[in-house]
Amino acid sequence: MASNVMNLGSLALPFLLHQQSQATPRKPDLDGEHFDLTAKKTRGEPRAKAMISLWMQGGPSHIDLFDPKPILQKKNGETFPGKIKYDNAAQSSAKMLGSPWKFKRHGESGMALSELLPGLAERVDDITLIRSMRTGVNNHGQSIRAMHNGTVVEGQPSLGSWLTYGLGAETRSLPAFCAMIDPGQLPVLGVENWSNGYLPSIFQGTVIRPQDPRILNLTPPAQLQGKVQDNYLTYLQRLNRRHLEKRPRELDLAARIAVYDLATRMQSAAGEAMDLSRETQETKNLYGMNDPVTADYGARCLIARRLVERGVRFVQIYTQNQLWDHHGSIRSGLPAACRKVDKPSAALLTDLKRRGLLDTTVVHWGGEMGRLPVIQNDTGASKVGRDHNTYGFSMWVAGGGFRQGCVHGKTDEFGHEAVEDVVNHYDYHATLLHLFGLDAEKLTYEQNGQQRKITEKKSGRIVQEILA
Amino acid sequence: MKLFTRIQFELLVAALIFLPGNISRLARAAEKVPAESIVFETHVRPILKANCFHCHGEGSKLESGLDLRLRRLIAKGGETGPAIVPGKPAESMLLTYVQEGEMPPADVEKRLTVDEIAMIERWISSGAKTASVEPENIDAGFFITEQERSFWSFQPLVRHLPPAVKAMDRIRTPVDQFVLARLEEKGFSFAADADRETLVRRLYLDLTGLPPGVEEVKRFLADPAPDAYDQLVDRLLASPRYGERWGRHWLDSAGYADSEGATEQDVIRQDAYRYRDYVIRSLNQDQPFDEFVREQLAGDEMVTPPYTEMDEVSIRRLTATGFLRMAPDGTASNNKPNQRNQVMANTLKIVSTSLLGLTVGCAQCHNHRYDPISQADYYRLRAIFEPTLNWQDWRTPAQRRLSLYTDANRKEAAEIEVKAKAVEAERSKKQETYIEQTFQRELAKLPEGLRQPITEARKTPADKRTAEQKKLLKDNPTVNVTAGSLYLYDKKAADDLATYVKKAKEIRETKPVEQFLRAAWEPTGKELPVTHLFHRGDFEQPKEALEPAELAVLTNGQSFTIPSKNQELASSGRRLAYANWLTSGDHPLFARVMVNRVWKHYMGRGIVETAGDFGFLGTRPTHPQLLDWLATEFVRQKWSLKQLHRLIVKSTVYRQDSIRNPELDKIDRENRFYGHRSIRRLDAEALRDTLLAVSGVLNEQSYGKPVPVMADRTGQWVIGIENLNAGRPGPVLPMHGQEFRRSIYIQVRRSRPLAVLDTFDLPRMDPNCTGRASSTVAPQALMLMNSDYVITQSKYFAERLQREFPNDLTAQVEQAWKLAFSRAAPQEEIDAAVQFLQAQQKQFQQQNEPKKKDAKVDLAKEKAAQELAALTSLCQALLSSNQFLYVE
Repeated sequence: MASNVMNLGSLALPFLLHQQSQATPRKPDLDGEHFDLTAKKTRGEPRAKAMISLWMQGGPSHIDLFDPKPILQKKNGETFPGKIKYDNAAQSSAKMLGSPWKFKRHGESGMALSELLPGLAERVDDITLIRSMRTGVNNHGQSIRAMHNGTVVEGQPSLGSWLTYGLGAETRSLPAFCAMIDPGQLPVLGVENWSNGYLPSIFQGTVIRPQDPRILNLTPPAQLQGKVQDNYLTYLQRLNRRHLEKRPRELDLAARIAVYDLATRMQSAAGEAMDLSRETQETKNLYGMNDPVTADYGARCLIARRLVERGVRFVQIYTQNQLWDHHGSIRSGLPAACRKVDKPSAALLTDLKRRGLLDTTVVHWGGEMGRLPVIQNDTGASKVGRDHNTYGFSMWVAGGGFRQGCVHGKTDEFGHEAVEDVVNHYDYHATLLHLFGLDAEKLTYEQNGQQRKITEKKSGRIVQEILA
Repeated sequence: MKLFTRIQFELLVAALIFLPGNISRLARAAEKVPAESIVFETHVRPILKANCFHCHGEGSKLESGLDLRLRRLIAKGGETGPAIVPGKPAESMLLTYVQEGEMPPADVEKRLTVDEIAMIERWISSGAKTASVEPENIDAGFFITEQERSFWSFQPLVRHLPPAVKAMDRIRTPVDQFVLARLEEKGFSFAADADRETLVRRLYLDLTGLPPGVEEVKRFLADPAPDAYDQLVDRLLASPRYGERWGRHWLDSAGYADSEGATEQDVIRQDAYRYRDYVIRSLNQDQPFDEFVREQLAGDEMVTPPYTEMDEVSIRRLTATGFLRMAPDGTASNNKPNQRNQVMANTLKIVSTSLLGLTVGCAQCHNHRYDPISQADYYRLRAIFEPTLNWQDWRTPAQRRLSLYTDANRKEAAEIEVKAKAVEAERSKKQETYIEQTFQRELAKLPEGLRQPITEARKTPADKRTAEQKKLLKDNPTVNVTAGSLYLYDKKAADDLATYVKKAKEIRETKPVEQFLRAAWEPTGKELPVTHLFHRGDFEQPKEALEPAELAVLTNGQSFTIPSKNQELASSGRRLAYANWLTSGDHPLFARVMVNRVWKHYMGRGIVETAGDFGFLGTRPTHPQLLDWLATEFVRQKWSLKQLHRLIVKSTVYRQDSIRNPELDKIDRENRFYGHRSIRRLDAEALRDTLLAVSGVLNEQSYGKPVPVMADRTGQWVIGIENLNAGRPGPVLPMHGQEFRRSIYIQVRRSRPLAVLDTFDLPRMDPNCTGRASSTVAPQALMLMNSDYVITQSKYFAERLQREFPNDLTAQVEQAWKLAFSRAAPQEEIDAAVQFLQAQQKQFQQQNEPKKKDAKVDLAKEKAAQELAALTSLCQALLSSNQFLYVE
């Protein structure tokens, strides 16, 4: 007896629930809606099919990486002439800090980048650099929410959940939304980063762990892999078949036997997707897997490529907790962070492009904030840092219909506030969804009698200027 | 790369899909009815009601002057002339309009189906007939037709005599006669009785949600008494585990949750668990079901306010009203009119689907499209609950906590407070002395000449000190002894003072703890709120005022009304009047809906399969006479749920084995005639509880605060105490065996469904659940194959076996079988299992080979570990097997 009506369950493996068997829907009032992860058709023509977000938690200093401000170098140490919005007033100072790093123009576009990003420097003609991002909420948690969820309020669905809710996935054997965590500590907000909020739990991100088992429940713990599991499955299916022999007409029992076979195939599909031994040495080196500094991040970028190649909709790669939060010791901390991610990030662009995937895959690189033009922690050159700045910061996007070799927007002459062509987080979301063929205003979910959407607090503007 | 093709996948899905048990009324109407028997009332009116009446008959305005509610009105037509010409479909505007899609208007999403249009066409061509003479006059707007009134579920209960059957030897209770008569009609009979091993597992799981222990099976199998089965039933009904099982079923209907839901915060409900405990206790005590429901709807009105100094019965009644507080309540975090009205809407949804079996909620914005429930009906029903859920004088969940503190408690607390204060006073005194002593000691260390002026300066209040005095104190910081700095000078003194703080705290902890109920009651001494019909359900568009009443269609001929105010009560008395009517035994739906739900829990399908919808779109009863017989018997047995259980589980229907009859299967794949026992998968809670019981770790502690749920590092919801640091998980805190409690005691946080339950179809309480799904999907297989949870349970199971039968593989296998499947293992299964164990052991041994080379290892220890790993693997296989997951 199987009355398979509907179910919105499973956080363990949310993505798999679209396998739900279903009966003829009866009556909407009784049964509610049925949610699944099959690929959806969109109203608009999609240019992007998948997205990889390289999430730089902590707030990379735009002034030292993306947004050159020569006046700061000229007036280094002088008092900032305007008003500054600090996060930590106790450690603050009004002394301007010129970037200790040199900027140079690169590529045909002549995009100026800091010497800390030599990898990206070679790919500037593929990206759109937005220098006028703004969330306006000056601490990590809230600004992360703004960038991930569209609003600063807790409990909203994250971007990956919205995209998979609107689009489903192109694969049936891998999670639609993969959250790739760092071997270090989880980023600020922890598991909320890939939360489905009020959306059904099948739209929650599935964590790809940095070690085996990479996906909980989808791959067995190391000591049970291989022959041990083969034996277990053979024996289990023998039990099940003997049980069925006496009840040959029970379709549900037969279906469950088939489901074990299906699960085993999914397990090997996941194993295959994570198996980097199938990549050439040249590719692995491209991602920096031959260098201990970049090995981990490179491997995760490479897995991300393998995932979108296999139909995964949204992958987000997290850096460790506060990797970019340089309140102090920016002179050593920022180069170290760049060394870890720059080469693999650039490699991802190179690799996607040469495989013809970049046209349909959005790559995003950025965090929840930038940093202030003035010194924080003024206790000696090696100790100085910069405080939070969510009023103007930079990030880049590439592929999936974004312009190539484009710089968009400006901050004021000191880099404190976005002043020209400001891109608020909601504008960014509206633009992204547009590239996926979705209308941010129309992608709604009814919760408790209300129509919810990602741009709930404020409608976003589609930033046409950065679309190819 | 895709590892399985789309075709394979679809085949699989096809295997999973079963014939729908329910063909909707409209779909049936669209089947080929002979043209001569097509009549307006049965075949056409429902289509028009669902699609057109909103503007053409039942709305406040008659669009184009066209009324489609009666055949003669259709023929008469509106401003543009007759809507039909009988016998001439091509000249009938009604048909052309719907055929060409001009009607319903373009902005209406719901369109008529091809079958529905065809039905209208055939009705017109066959002469546009009616079944009976249409009424001369009908009121404007909503009216209930005779046909609608005569719908089966609105008719009074009729107690039929159990029919005669041929195979009288198979009859154990009257239930059997009703079922067997239908089977014999089709030329079939019951399947054979199931064997005792099957029965004991079935009964345990159905009645208690837990498997029988090895000893319990043994006892039943060896019991020679002719009524051994009946005795077992009585033992199980008397077990405290029974209330935990059947309480869970009721909590589904009530939409029980330990959090408010509705908003992102999903605020935790501190006191909801008392309602859960009330339900479990009531069922265990077999509280008459009518009283059980009356208390939940109106327990407060059965107690005289003020609700202080209450006795046990009064507290129970107030606790019961928690039922009306189960709907998601967004006002806990967002106290806005829309949230308040949403609480009311969801409460009505819970009340109507759980007690009436009707989808009344559809009538919130417009007349019900299918059932004869008007929008006014909806708001009259709402008026019954308005005085306690008054959106214009709202009380948030925090304002609705009902304190159980008594005067005696308060007095005791005050006395204890006095004692605590005394200790603190003593401390202050001692502190002063210590400070003074320390000051003198420090002073003595300074030059003689400074001592006097410093003492002087210190005595002077800070704001009156001269600049000189200030400087003096600043230059000699060691004399600045204060309460805050004392510990720096005299650790012993500080420690001594700390003991006083501790003592005061300990004294305060002996105060009686203030307990609260999550209850519903009406504020007294206030004017009763007026209930308005809301245009389109919008509270900002109130229309006419309405008095409380039952749905019109259910009071046919009874003229049942609810007074707006019962002058004998402090409260309005509306809910009490309604509860009394519902449980009077005369209500057409209540008893039917209840017995049907109980039946469904046992048989896997209801006599009415749509247990939450006894309306026009619901399914018709397969055994209407049985349904009524059970309902009247329930009333006759003074609403004893345990008696109802006995009637059902002692029947032959229930005791059949689960082998399908291939011939019967041809006409009854879904087992609507109950020609065998349906095999069913354990539901989420039974599965988890059974895993705990079999592996020997189940904690049977009853009642109390829910066991909390938290996110693990990957965001999975697991049992645990949340311990976050900037949103990131901190160290895992010990649970002290609470993690092994039955699932009913696990916190139901709406936004945090426990992963293991969720995977096995735990329903969302949104706002409640009147019928669970049972799916067969890959995540379940993967969880059983790979999850930490199942692997750990398997290890507990293996350790238990080793403990009970050390060093005896065969005995371990035999015991495993008995525990997991409640029966002895056949010899060939024992052999296969032992073989499997040996193969796994060898495998684990080989895995460890490379390790051995680099280090000196304790061989005996290693071997023990391998044995345990192999046995764990066997246990895991048993726990993932169909024989374990399904009940026969």
